[in-house]
Amino acid sequence: MSDTRITAYADALVALARAEGATSEVEDELFRFARALEGSDELRGTLADAGVPAARRIQIVEDLLGGRAGATTTSIVSLIVANGRVGELSQIVDEFVARSAGGRGEAVAEVRSAVALSDEQQRRLAEALTSRTGRPVTVRNVVDPTVLGGVVTQIGDTLLDGSVRTRLNQLRDAF
Amino acid sequence: MSPIFAAGNGFWLPHDPWEILWGSLAFFIIAFVLVKKAGPMIKTAFVGRSERIEATLNEATSERSAAEAERDGIKADLADSDAEATRIVAEARETAARVKADMIARAEADAVAVRERAVAEIAAARRAAQADLTAEVSRLASGAAEQVVHANLDDSTQQSLIESYIAQVGANN
Repeated sequence: MSDTRITAYADALVALARAEGATSEVEDELFRFARALEGSDELRGTLADAGVPAARRIQIVEDLLGGRAGATTTSIVSLIVANGRVGELSQIVDEFVARSAGGRGEAVAEVRSAVALSDEQQRRLAEALTSRTGRPVTVRNVVDPTVLGGVVTQIGDTLLDGSVRTRLNQLRDAF
Repeated sequence: MSPIFAAGNGFWLPHDPWEILWGSLAFFIIAFVLVKKAGPMIKTAFVGRSERIEATLNEATSERSAAEAERDGIKADLADSDAEATRIVAEARETAARVKADMIARAEADAVAVRERAVAEIAAARRAAQADLTAEVSRLASGAAEQVVHANLDDSTQQSLIESYIAQVGANN
């Protein structure tokens, strides 16, 4: 998908979330769904399979998100799936989150860790990152077992890697 | 009759004086005519013959000189040919020696290059083997380390790592 189309989708999602008055909630839910989709080849393959009727794919989305996400988030994901843009869903969501946060004057930090950060830890990390970057930072935590331990933060073009995985890779490269 | 008695009468002179007179007269007339008419012709013929002989001699002398010159030229050419042949042989020997030296030098250079290439290939193979071995050892070691780390990463360790990370991010401001 072209950057223009991703941007267009992101702009539309920002407008929709603002109209619904649930921007932060939609951001969080879409972000989590996008990361979950990235981690499941089977789910991604099923939702992207043109051989599966669109109604069936939308039903899968509703079954997955029902009770776990709001109606706005479910509708947005269903729209993207129905339009056959599952392959670009992560990019659309990342762009949406970045634009939405940018609209509030914030930066978005994607924080990967082997175990979920508590709300308190996310708050303190957001404060540390805010102090470091000089602008408000919204933390989006992604549980990623490949990290093994520690945390990896991607904020803009900056990568703050404190993962055990990277330490092990450095140890291996030192041989 | 003896040939000395030309008169045919057994004497040296005929007996008739008129015969002697007429004979003498005829003789002198004929002699005069011969001297006057044939003499110049004979003289001319002798002179011409002498000139022809002289011309022939001169021509022969000239031809001889030319032949001698040609002989000398041939001798000189032969001498030059010998010198040329000697020069060519010397040059050929020099060329052969140079070619031989070049071939030996090239062969030695090739041998050195082959030897160096072989040494380089052996060194490269050794380095590759060492790199493969190191990579394999590294892979096994890191795999073992990962298993050990994974086994020891309980919740408290995870929380400790997260807290340490947050503290480090905050401290680097």
